[in-house]
Amino acid sequence: MVKEELYSYSDTVNELLARYGVRFGIYKNGTFKEQLFPFDMIPRKIGRDEFDYLERGLKQRVMALNEFIKDIYGDKKIIRDNVVPEEFVYMGSGYLAQCEGVRPPKDVFTHISGIDLVQAKDGEWYVLEDNLRIPSGASYPMIAREICRRSSPETFKKNAISDNRNYAKLLRKTMDHVNVGGHTVILTPGRYNAAYFEHSYLAEQTGAHLVTGNELVVENDNLFFKDYSGSKERVGAVYRRISDEYLDPMNFNPESVIGIPHIYDIYRKGNVALINAPGNGVADDKGIYYFVPDMVRYYLGEEPVLHNAPTYLPFYPKDMEYVLENFDSLVLKDVAEAGGYGVVFGSGMTGEEKDRFIAMLKAEPRRFIAQEVIDFLDIDIYENGEAVPRKADLRAFVLMADEPMVWKSGLTRFSRNPDSFIVNSSQGGGFKDTWVMEE
Amino acid sequence: MAILSLEHSDQLYWLGRYSERVYTTIHEYEKRFDSLIELKEEDYNAFCKAQDIPNIYNSKDDFIQRYCFDENDTNSIYSNLIRAYDNAVVLREEIGSETLAYIQLAVYAMNKAKASQAPLIQLQKVVDNIVAFWGMVDDDIDNEHVRSIIKLGKRIERIDLYARMKMDPVRLRREMKRLNTRINRTGLKYNTMKLAHLNYLVEMSEIPNDIVVEEIESLFDDEERRTENA
Amino acid sequence: MTKREEQKMRKLDFQYHMRLLFPEPVNRHHFTLRCFPIDSERQKITNLNIQITPSHVGGTETDSFGNRCIYGVVEKPHTEFCVSVDGMAYVYGDAFQPVADAHKIGMFRYNTDLTKIGPTLDKLYKKLSAGTPEKEAITEKALRWMEAVHSCIKYVQGITQVTTTAEEAAVFGMGVCQDYAHILLALLRKEHIPSRYVVGMMTGEGASHAWVEVCDGKKWVGFDPTNNCMVDDQYICISHGRDARDCTINQGYFYGSPRQIQEINVVVEESRDD
Repeated sequence: MVKEELYSYSDTVNELLARYGVRFGIYKNGTFKEQLFPFDMIPRKIGRDEFDYLERGLKQRVMALNEFIKDIYGDKKIIRDNVVPEEFVYMGSGYLAQCEGVRPPKDVFTHISGIDLVQAKDGEWYVLEDNLRIPSGASYPMIAREICRRSSPETFKKNAISDNRNYAKLLRKTMDHVNVGGHTVILTPGRYNAAYFEHSYLAEQTGAHLVTGNELVVENDNLFFKDYSGSKERVGAVYRRISDEYLDPMNFNPESVIGIPHIYDIYRKGNVALINAPGNGVADDKGIYYFVPDMVRYYLGEEPVLHNAPTYLPFYPKDMEYVLENFDSLVLKDVAEAGGYGVVFGSGMTGEEKDRFIAMLKAEPRRFIAQEVIDFLDIDIYENGEAVPRKADLRAFVLMADEPMVWKSGLTRFSRNPDSFIVNSSQGGGFKDTWVMEE
Repeated sequence: MAILSLEHSDQLYWLGRYSERVYTTIHEYEKRFDSLIELKEEDYNAFCKAQDIPNIYNSKDDFIQRYCFDENDTNSIYSNLIRAYDNAVVLREEIGSETLAYIQLAVYAMNKAKASQAPLIQLQKVVDNIVAFWGMVDDDIDNEHVRSIIKLGKRIERIDLYARMKMDPVRLRREMKRLNTRINRTGLKYNTMKLAHLNYLVEMSEIPNDIVVEEIESLFDDEERRTENA
Repeated sequence: MTKREEQKMRKLDFQYHMRLLFPEPVNRHHFTLRCFPIDSERQKITNLNIQITPSHVGGTETDSFGNRCIYGVVEKPHTEFCVSVDGMAYVYGDAFQPVADAHKIGMFRYNTDLTKIGPTLDKLYKKLSAGTPEKEAITEKALRWMEAVHSCIKYVQGITQVTTTAEEAAVFGMGVCQDYAHILLALLRKEHIPSRYVVGMMTGEGASHAWVEVCDGKKWVGFDPTNNCMVDDQYICISHGRDARDCTINQGYFYGSPRQIQEINVVVEESRDD
């Protein structure tokens, strides 16, 4: 009944989403366009016990990932002890030699993590991907909840739904925790970035200043914001929504025009906090994913609460054997690719394609991971007034201050195409509110 | 403590100017539209001249459509509204989502007006949203500098337009008075000599409108501001 | 220290001058310089004198490889930027930088974008590994491969650039010290032998020089594939990294002129000062 009741409010909700300009940008044929992010009225519900379980697992996972990054850029014990083979670290795209020996304020590397999970038909949850670099998407469920509450207060009166309107507070706490003195800013590449709405909305909601690179300057080993009156104000924390590569032309890509020259030099000295920490992509590589449960055991001495999707590394002869024997039931992923590219299903190949792929796999075993195909639990969406099942995932947000905090919500994305597993907004996917129930 | 970058101060100023430009030119357009329903073919020529925009229109119908709605005509009301939007959308954390929403709604209303047979009704919605936006600026923006820069932009644009359109001197003097009280609350550096000159000009019995336009346009000597901030 | 003094040691005076000329004035000129030799097991630096003009604000730091950097910004318009470094180095020809934790130098075992192997280098690699004698020590292998690299390309200036990869230089069959070093690194890392790129100065060279250091398990040993010889007490190290990019002597970022002309003059000679 929740479904029908909410459905009657969908016009109001969509009108409000449009009113507040809830959009994401995409590039089509070289021109920038903004689109509304389709919102589906049927919420995803997660029971309290179930969410408690996820919360425990997510905290544990992010703690281990943070330890891993600290270790990789420091003592490298996990390499010495042969838990993670070094080639997966140094050959991954996320490893940055410039980060060697650099300790960020309070040793936090994973300030904001977006962990992508899926639920299988048997109810089991699996982690599909850890997003540690600059995970986006929190703003959409934030504003959607705000709008849904306004549109249908009755629904929220009748159902015991955990209040999720504390994301800005959690984020502020996360930023303040590492701030070394001065203002907090959110650094955006600019208006023509796909997530610009989110950047500006998070700035408004947290009270941080939204800035572009040319509004900040490094002087006397400190970072300053150039005020219009001509004075300079010190900045102590930068929640940067630009990638490592573009952050500082003096230390990373010299062609970058959206970064801040020398910001990395003063970060190295501890004079500013960068959120998330540069180089933390070393832990969210597809190849490294395989080792996350081992990291939990290694650093925390605990059994991992959350499971990875069953994954095989052809790098190991034992796994290679399994992959070759069960090729048709597996999905294979190129570790260097992202965004749904480089993903192939064993069952979808012709004999010839298969032979070619296996030859490639044998030549470069490190380049691929293989996973069992998970039988997703579909969830309903409304299409033309009718509820139809679709594939969906859940991006859970974990924020790290003095301890990890899991946002009691998340971004549930779904595929609008009944045959597709791809839920990315850029591929026409939509999103839902995620209700964590109080009971 | 509130801080504001040079870039954002510029954007606030232009948000004020473009919102005013849309507001006043819609009023002027409505007057013309009304008279053009049955009147002379060439009447829009004088309008273009007063606005200091090239008369690129082929007929009165062409003028009615394009001056108001043509997104490719850089002088159209539509283009000016989009410029207001472009400035507003990068100021969300300065002006707030609630305030920004009214500019967004004005854009939606403009698109509806464009598709409508009776555009004046929908244009009224554009105006309503701009007025609501100004109301929100006054009511909802706590930072005095932010508020004042938008309002200053609005005053300057109004004086500029009134002078171009050779409006009633009484209205021009009233706007000038408001500008004087506003400008010192913005924290912006401006040319004090030019302001004094403007005050003198508007009190003349025959206001030299051309000079007023020239002076108001150069009240902020850009070069001076930039070097201060370099 | 007394033990040290018995070792082979050479006293070298060095001067490093770099001049950047801009056809049109530039401003907000950010720079990071890596052209200062620092103390290590194999060299002690004294009387170091550094001058950078025009005046600037900035700081100093040690990068992730342990190299000393000076960085800063020149705000005002200028058409010339000069760096002058001079001093004296005591170089111990048979002293090497030790490697304490072998598990920490993994990054030097893998090729980078600049040292990536393509078909031409792969062919060379196959030829070299086919001729591997039994029980060849790492330093013996490096020596043998250095000779092969030395003869696989010709020393020609102006063909390759700072962004030229090892493979590209091998295809051209021509290059400068950077290219020799990159090719040797590419081959060694194909076998996961930890090896690093070194920038420095040597007697008789008018410019900065580059060579390779190989870890034999305990220490870093220098090989100069351009001159086909082991690195001895005629070489002063400035910086090291995975490839030339990590050791960029002058990284600049400025507004104004699209072009710059760089002049470098290096003098290293036996010190007469006793």
